[in-house]
Amino acid sequence: MNQKNPEKGYVALLGWSLGAIDAVDRFDRRYVVVAPEWAEAYAKEHDIPFIPWDFERLNDRSYEIAQMLQDKGVDVAIPLFEETVEWAGAINSVLLDQPRLFGQAMLFRDKALMKRRAQLGGIRVGIFEEAHDKADVVRFLKRVNQTLLKLHGDPNDPIHMKAFDKAGCLGHRVIRTPDDVDNIPDDEFPALLESHLDGWEFAVEAWIHGGKIRFLNISEYVTLGYSVFVPATPELESYRPQITRQIEKLIKTFDIEFGFVHPEYFVTNDGVMYFGEVAYRPPGFNVFELLERSYGFNAYQGLVLAFDPKTTDEEIEAFFPQPVADATGHAGCFGVYPRRRVVSELQIPEETENHPYFEFHELNPPWEQKVTKRTAFGTHWGLVYFYGDDPHRMRDLLKHQEELDFYV
Amino acid sequence: MPAESPEARLKQLTDHLDRAQDRLAQARPFAKSTQTVRVLEITRRVMTLPGGIEVVYARIGDLEQAGLFAASDWAHPDKLQPAMAANTIRTGSKEAILLECLSELRLAAVARGRHHHPSLTAEQATRLITQILALNLRLIFRQLTEAERLALGPLAEVVQSHYEFVARQIGFGDILEQLVDEIWRILAQRPVQVDHVKDMITSVAVCLSQPDNGLEGGAQFRGAERLISAVYGPTRGCQEDPGLQVYQERLETMDQPTLRNEALGFGRAMHDTGLVSPYHPVFLRFLRNRYDELISEALGLSSTGSDALACYRDLVFRLIDEAVWPETAQTIYGLAGLLERGILYNPPLAPALWRQINLQLCPAAIQRLGGESLNSVAPRVHLLAAILNVLGQPLGVGQGNNPTCQAARALSMWSSNDPDYLLQLVAWAARDNDVVMHFEGQAIHSGELVSALPPLTDVDPLSAVIVPHLDAIYHAMGRLCVGRPEDPHRWINPEFHGWWVGHGFAIAVDVASGQLQAYEDFLRLFYACYHPLYNGNNPVIHPQPAGIAVTDSAARFMGWHAISIQRVALDPSGAMRVYFFNPNNDSGQDWGGEVRVSTAGCGERFGEASLPFAAFASRLYIFYYDPREVPAQVQAPPEEVSEVLQLATTSWARDRQPTA
Repeated sequence: MNQKNPEKGYVALLGWSLGAIDAVDRFDRRYVVVAPEWAEAYAKEHDIPFIPWDFERLNDRSYEIAQMLQDKGVDVAIPLFEETVEWAGAINSVLLDQPRLFGQAMLFRDKALMKRRAQLGGIRVGIFEEAHDKADVVRFLKRVNQTLLKLHGDPNDPIHMKAFDKAGCLGHRVIRTPDDVDNIPDDEFPALLESHLDGWEFAVEAWIHGGKIRFLNISEYVTLGYSVFVPATPELESYRPQITRQIEKLIKTFDIEFGFVHPEYFVTNDGVMYFGEVAYRPPGFNVFELLERSYGFNAYQGLVLAFDPKTTDEEIEAFFPQPVADATGHAGCFGVYPRRRVVSELQIPEETENHPYFEFHELNPPWEQKVTKRTAFGTHWGLVYFYGDDPHRMRDLLKHQEELDFYV
Repeated sequence: MPAESPEARLKQLTDHLDRAQDRLAQARPFAKSTQTVRVLEITRRVMTLPGGIEVVYARIGDLEQAGLFAASDWAHPDKLQPAMAANTIRTGSKEAILLECLSELRLAAVARGRHHHPSLTAEQATRLITQILALNLRLIFRQLTEAERLALGPLAEVVQSHYEFVARQIGFGDILEQLVDEIWRILAQRPVQVDHVKDMITSVAVCLSQPDNGLEGGAQFRGAERLISAVYGPTRGCQEDPGLQVYQERLETMDQPTLRNEALGFGRAMHDTGLVSPYHPVFLRFLRNRYDELISEALGLSSTGSDALACYRDLVFRLIDEAVWPETAQTIYGLAGLLERGILYNPPLAPALWRQINLQLCPAAIQRLGGESLNSVAPRVHLLAAILNVLGQPLGVGQGNNPTCQAARALSMWSSNDPDYLLQLVAWAARDNDVVMHFEGQAIHSGELVSALPPLTDVDPLSAVIVPHLDAIYHAMGRLCVGRPEDPHRWINPEFHGWWVGHGFAIAVDVASGQLQAYEDFLRLFYACYHPLYNGNNPVIHPQPAGIAVTDSAARFMGWHAISIQRVALDPSGAMRVYFFNPNNDSGQDWGGEVRVSTAGCGERFGEASLPFAAFASRLYIFYYDPREVPAQVQAPPEEVSEVLQLATTSWARDRQPTA
């Protein structure tokens, strides 16, 4: 049992994540969970400090929760999910008496605003535009491909469409033809349109305190939406100095003093780095879990350190390991989507099951036989975890999983 | 990719397991479940490798410490039910099956003194694991049924190796002894359905015949030999289990005294155990028309039974000719019981049985009996045989794995009380596929309702044919009571079962809120109506339906259940007990808080369960009585009433106390 240290900060976790609560409960900071009402009974049963809150939409009650947390003596609020990022901004602007934090949070929540801000800060971004209806999408698709000097009949370069305010791959569509546009439901507008960049996509996780990067991880995507592993291959890690400079630029442009960012970038074939987007909350695909597996530190506890204004430099330096050098191995995971249209059971492919890198899976047996057709980068059916020494073997292994049936 | 040796893989997976175990240990109780799933997933793979089970066994104490069983059904091993545990292996989810295996490894480790457990002694663990193994004995010998194999899928191999491993830790001898005791305990209740008992006996026989079973043999298995011989070789003429054909040939060469000895042997074996050997029908059919005078002995009849046989010779012989085959051997025991009960002297019964013999079954009934089969006796014969069993053993009826306790209870009641009515209902169900009953003057036909119901599993053929009809009618009566302010059983049970069900109705709880309601008055009234020392020394005249709040061995409320009160009497030790019929297949249950239902040794007749009066009252929540027979001055011993109150409010009624 970790004794709570009243000298250190008191944090509020915005959103319900058992992994995060477990980590923070085992840490030396006092905490309270602010999450929807449905979690209240469970929290009560397990003595988890809890305040029920409806995060559905930011409203005039945001000041009320900020006041409530301030009265309790809470120092800072930590967003765990995309939907709570603007709440954290609003609350922290009160708790820390820094009104600009709210405006900063709104930048993180609106992908179009985010891109413009990045562009203003001199960060290289692809071509992008807001779309309010299907006509906007068709126009953008045509214009981008005109720019690329495609002739009539050449296959189009795809464009990407992303919801303004959704996390990760949710609501992310790849559009190649005007026919694809017809399949977009109207309620997905407005959205952000981006040109497609051929290149190497990766993500970064950076813990920031006192305006400085305290730990920087590069997550290598083997295939976007399917698989990721940490630390990255030496080839990608060779860009670390450049990447670090990019993140420093990001920190400056977005005026980030503390906390955690999770941006995505492209490196094109000529080594130029393009900014994709940035989130101010933990990444999906359980990257935190992978980091713990390969470095041994708990990334949520790191999150608390990075947000807590009372954290000292010595404390934070002692907490984080040396990137890459201190990793004991490479940890990766693969998100499973059923490949067949009709499935009846979960069956881990024998070669996966017997692979020395395979650790465990969190796949459930199918609860419906018909697989809904994927229209966007949807939700996977569960993750399969791997761990091993060789990053290239890991990469190829994760890639190979895409060709296997986990549901038959 | 180089193929790795199993040793290297085991080493690697063991590392994964240790890591997952550490993560589990770190996690707070509320976050353990995520980690548990991972540990289980790795454990499964470890256990498939040679030496893997040993690896898990060596860590089982640490795994438990880490919280593997926390917040699951396995958290309190002292409360585990062997039957439930044994069933989990066959019917549980993948996760539950693995947890069950790990829990059994834990029990084995505690039993062998390798792991000390705060709430379980080595003796308790030994008893528990032995019982579980006894119930899954077939798995130790790798005798999975096809259905089990399919259900277990890739886990089948793990589960079988697991049982072999655990059985080696515990020793086969202990397991067998337990199993034999268990079989005797069940047989003491004389169930109609004995297929699973015969299966268990077969397992024991297989085990004893294995040359490398490591058993000393001898005295401790005497009980086993009696069971095995009752099924496989009850008499001199068939003691080495020669096969039905050979035995048939031997009979042709036997003289009258030898045949008499065979008859006595069959009768004795059957009444000792309640089991009938398939040789018995061969013998009985051989006697017919040759040595009819030996039939009384072959049925093991007393003078009462012999007299009934003599009076209804033609009928009984015809029943033997029609219903007694090796496939329906058990019906001989039913026939003997029917004769001993003297119910043939009830005028409508013999003609009703003649009707039954000639009854044409409708297609729906044939289907409920499993359809026509070329290799077995006809559905009509199965039904007739089951009728003899139910009439001969009214308290042997069980509900199988179906939520139909009211129907099973009704069958038992009619069999003991109103057998010709039962035969009438069977005729309607089997011939017409339509049973008619009346509720407050309104006719209810089951024919229109019955097709929607799923088929029953694991019941005797009579129940298979009639219970769907009874269930449909029971529910239809329930629908007619919708909107009435009180518990519908108040009106349904007297209409459903018969005129003899008391029209006074007492219930311990308020139906709307589920809270206790005038509970002490309820208890006092029960004493005044049923306890001979407070009701003017009146016995229970007809079995009366009653409702029980069933609790588990930790005295937690599990649900409402229908039973019938058979009689109230002093037991051999002079204590007042309630003897009751529980349509559940095994009445010997631990209801927690010292309330342990006895099935033998406290003056029970075959098939009865019993509890001391106060203990019974503490689980009672509905009973019926005749308001005209309530004594003018209701009296009950105050100290006993408060004892009952205590037992109830510390168990099922814990959260049902009205807020004043």
